Amino acid sequence: MNVKVYGADLSAWVAAACLARSGNQVIIEGPDDQRDKPLEEISAIRDEPGLLDQIADQIAKGQLLRSNHNDPHSHADIHWLALQPNEQSKAESLVQKLAREIPQNLLIINQCNFGVGYTDQLQSTLDLEKDQAVVYIPDNLQEGKALQGFSQPKRIILGTESQWALTMTRSLIRPYLQNIEHLQVMTAREAEFTKFAVTGMLAIRLGYINELANLADEMNVDIDVIRDGMGADPRIGRHYLSPGCGFGGQNFSNYIARFSDLFETQRKNSLLKTVISENEIQKELLFRKLWKHYQCNLNGKTVTLWGASFKPGTASIDNAPSLKLIEALLAQNVTVKVHDPEALENIREYFGDISLLQLCHDPYSAATHSDALMLVTEWPEYWSPDYNKLASLMNTPLILDGRNIFDREALELYGFTCKGIGR
Amino acid sequence: MAVNNSPAWKALQFHATDLERQHLKDLFLNNPERFDQFSFSAAHCLLDLSKQRMSAQTLDLLINLSDQQGLRQKIQAMFDGEIVNPSEDRPALHTALRQPAGETLNVGDQDINAEVHRSLAEMEKLVQQIHNQQWRGFDGSPIKSVVNIGVGGSDLGPLMTCRALGQFAPEHIRSLDIHFVSSMDGSQLARLLNKLNPASTLFIVSSKSFTTIDTLANANTALEWLIHASDVPQEIITQHHFIGVTASPAKAVEWGIPEQNQLRFWDWTGGRYSMWSVIGMAIALQIGYDNFRRFLNGAWEMDRHFLAAEARSNLPVLLALTEIWNINFLNIHAHAILPYDGRLEYLPAYLEQLEMESNGKSVNLDGEYVAHSTCPILWGEVGPNAQHAFYQLLHQGTEAVMCDFIAPALRYEDQSEELQKQHQLALANCLAQSRLLALGDSVLDDAGDAPAHKRYRGNQPSTTIMLDRLTPESFGALIALYEHKVYVQSVIWEINPFDQWGVELGKKVATSLMSSFDNEIPEDTDSSTEGLIRYVQQQRRESKQ
Repeated sequence: MNVKVYGADLSAWVAAACLARSGNQVIIEGPDDQRDKPLEEISAIRDEPGLLDQIADQIAKGQLLRSNHNDPHSHADIHWLALQPNEQSKAESLVQKLAREIPQNLLIINQCNFGVGYTDQLQSTLDLEKDQAVVYIPDNLQEGKALQGFSQPKRIILGTESQWALTMTRSLIRPYLQNIEHLQVMTAREAEFTKFAVTGMLAIRLGYINELANLADEMNVDIDVIRDGMGADPRIGRHYLSPGCGFGGQNFSNYIARFSDLFETQRKNSLLKTVISENEIQKELLFRKLWKHYQCNLNGKTVTLWGASFKPGTASIDNAPSLKLIEALLAQNVTVKVHDPEALENIREYFGDISLLQLCHDPYSAATHSDALMLVTEWPEYWSPDYNKLASLMNTPLILDGRNIFDREALELYGFTCKGIGR
Repeated sequence: MAVNNSPAWKALQFHATDLERQHLKDLFLNNPERFDQFSFSAAHCLLDLSKQRMSAQTLDLLINLSDQQGLRQKIQAMFDGEIVNPSEDRPALHTALRQPAGETLNVGDQDINAEVHRSLAEMEKLVQQIHNQQWRGFDGSPIKSVVNIGVGGSDLGPLMTCRALGQFAPEHIRSLDIHFVSSMDGSQLARLLNKLNPASTLFIVSSKSFTTIDTLANANTALEWLIHASDVPQEIITQHHFIGVTASPAKAVEWGIPEQNQLRFWDWTGGRYSMWSVIGMAIALQIGYDNFRRFLNGAWEMDRHFLAAEARSNLPVLLALTEIWNINFLNIHAHAILPYDGRLEYLPAYLEQLEMESNGKSVNLDGEYVAHSTCPILWGEVGPNAQHAFYQLLHQGTEAVMCDFIAPALRYEDQSEELQKQHQLALANCLAQSRLLALGDSVLDDAGDAPAHKRYRGNQPSTTIMLDRLTPESFGALIALYEHKVYVQSVIWEINPFDQWGVELGKKVATSLMSSFDNEIPEDTDSSTEGLIRYVQQQRRESKQ
C-alpha cells in the first residue's frame, strides 16, 4: 500500500521504518527544515537503537521517501498521523486538506497523544458515508525497544466504528500480528482512554514502589524483600515494581502529563499530578543522600555519574533524572564526571561547555578521584565492575545506587559504603 | 525665628480666616476649571488636589513658605548625602538605593552607588539560587517556603509590596511561598510553624541592628524548631536555613549567621526607608529580581521628578504643602488613607509608620519645642471595606478629617469582564465618596428637605492619587511620593524626620520589668503597673495548682 506518515519524532520514524520494511511504499512528511537534515543529526533517530540503519536501508531501497508539505501531493491509500502532542491545529488543518483532496475512501490513522475524544473531533469534519474515516491506534512505543514494539506487538487496540476502515487497517497491520495475544476493537474514544489508563496505572505503580522504598529507608527494612513478597501475590505481579531514582522519557511523560491534566480538569483530582511531582522529587534522591552523607557541604567535591540516559538502551535524556542531578551538583560547585555508553553527546548539547562538567568515555576514568559514584542508569556494563580498581581510583569509596543493581554486602567487603533505594 | 512666627506662616494664617468660611461646593461652583488647575501628573501618578479647601492664592502662599524654608536646598542636601539626620549624625540616602548602576554618588570617600549595587548583586545571586531551586535545606530539599522575620521597616514595606505586586511573579517562581512574621509574642510564627516543612523552609532575619528583641525572639524560636526537627547541629542549620539582612554584621555573626549568608545595608538607610535595599529580599523573592528592579526604577523616576521639578508642579512638594495647609491652618489633625484596590491593603499600615514615626515629633532641629502641630493621626483601610466601618464618622461625625483616595485607573485588562466590572464598581465608589465628602448632600436636588440626621454637610477635603495601572514602576513611584512628602513636611516644620527616639525608652522599661514576673517587684513601680504584675503572678500560681 501507499502510506504517508506525518510527524518528526520517534513514533513517526518508527512507523515509517516498519511500514516500509513490510513492503509498503512510504513517504514521511516532517517539518520543512527537517527534510534535508542528515538522518544521524536527528536525535529521535540517533537515540533509538537500530533505527538509523533501518531507515537508511529503506531509503536506499526506495521504499521510504522523505518529503515536506511543499512537495506536490502524492497519492497515498493511508495517512498516518504521528504528530507531537502540541500539534493539534496542524492535525486539524491537515485532515481538512485531505478531506478536500480525497472525497472518497480516505483512511487516516491517528496515533497522536491529543487526548480523549480527539479522534472523534477529527472524524466529525469527515464524511463517514463516503468512507472518510479516522482510526485511533494507541502506540506501543517503548523507547529503546521501539522497533520491536511496533513490529511484534503483543497487544493491539483499534479504535474505530467504521467497518470499511477496520478492514483496511487490518490489512495494513497484518504483517505484525504473529505474536499477538490480544486484539481488541473498540470506539476511538475508548481506545484513547485505554491508552491513558494503562500509562497512568504504570506511573502510579512506579510512584508507589518509589514511595514504599523511601519509607523502607526510614523504617530500616529492605525494599527488595518487601517487593519479593508483594510480587508473589498474583493480584500484584512483579512488573513495574522496581524502585529507582525516578522515571523519565518523552513519550511516557507526555502521556502522563496529559492524563493528569484530564484528571484535574474533569475530576479536580490530583492523583496523577502528585505522582508526577513526587517523581520530580525522586529524581533528586541521590543528591539528597549525598548531601546528607557529606553534612550539607559538597563544595569542591567530585562526583561521578554512571548513566545519563533516562533508561538503558536509548541515548535519549528526555526528562532523565541525570539532568536534575547534574544541575543540583553543579549548583553546589561540584565537579561532575559523567559516563554513558550512548548519551554523552546529548548531555553535551543540553548543558553546553561547563568547566565543572566532564564527559568521560570510560567509566573508570569517570570515577577517578571521585568522592561518590552515582549509578543513575542501569546499563548492562555497570552491573559487574572491577570493584578493586574502582575502589583504588576513587577518593572516597561511596556508591549511591539509584537502580539497586549492586549487592551491598559484597560492596562492603571491597570497602565501599553503599546506599541504595529503600535498602 | 521659628517657622510659626515667620512672615510666610503669618500670611497663610491670615489667608485661612478667609478660606475657612468657604465651602468646597462653592469653590467648585465658582471655578469650573478647578480640576485642571489643581491636578498634576508625573511618574505614573495623577495627583488631584482640587477637592482640597484651597484657592490659587493658597498655593502661592504655601510655595512662598517652602521657599522661605529653603526647601530646594534641603532637597538637594538629602540627595547629596549631607547630614539630614543630625541627632544620629547621618545622611538619609534611600534615594541612592534606587539609583541605577553607573550613576555616581560619592559621600566622603565612599562610592555609594558602587556599594549599593554590590550589595544588590549579592542579593540577586541568592534570589536566583532560591528561584532555581538550588538553595538546599538540611536534607537536600530545595527551599519552598521563605519566612521573613522582621518588624517595623523590616516587615511593613516588604509585606506591603509583596501583596501589592504579587501578581507580577513569573510563573516559574510562583510555587515559592513567602510569609511574614513580626509580632514578638510569637503568635504569627507559632501558627506558621505548624504548616511548614522544616527541611524546605528558609528564614530571612531582617534587623538593622540585629539586636531587635522582637525579631531575635522569633528567630530563636525558628532555630529551635529546625534543630528539633532535623537532629542536625546548629551551625549547619544556621548555614542552610537562615539569611541575615543587617547593617551590623558582627552582631549577626554573634547570633550565628555566617558571613556568606549575610546581606548588608548601611546605617544611613533608615528602617522605614529600607525596603529598597536588601531588606527587600522578600520582595525580590516574591516578584522576581527583574520586577524588584522595576519597582526601584519607578521610585527613581519620582526621585528625579522631586529633585528637578519646580515646586508648582512637584508632586511630593504639592502634596506636602496641601497637608501643611490642612494641619496647621485649617486645624485638621486626622488623616485617613483609603486605597480602592485590595492589593494595597497594607499601604495604610505602612504609611502609619512612615509618617508617624518620621514626623511624630515635637522638638525642632534647634532642640526647642515646636509651637505648631506636626504629624496628624494617620489610619486607614481598603476603602470599600472602610465604607462599612468608619466612613460614618467621615460623613457625619464632629471631627474634620483629610482623606487620601488611591486607585489605579485600569485593572484586570486581560481578565474577565466581571472582574473589570468589579474594578469599575470600586472606582465608582471611590469617586462617589470623595465627591460626597467634598460637596455634601448638595449633590442632591432636594437635600434640604431631609431631617438633620440624614444630612451630609460635606467640606471634608481629600486628595485623589490615581495611577495609570498598578505596576512595579507606578507602585515604586507612589511610595517615593509619600516618602518625599514626609521629608518636605519635616523641612517646613523644622524637625528631623529620620530619627525615632520616642521608641527607645519603652524597650528599656520592658527589659527592666521582664524579671519582675518571677521575682520581687521593684519598690519604685507605680501602683497600676504593680497591680497588673501581681494579677499575672496570681494567675500563674493558680494555673500551677
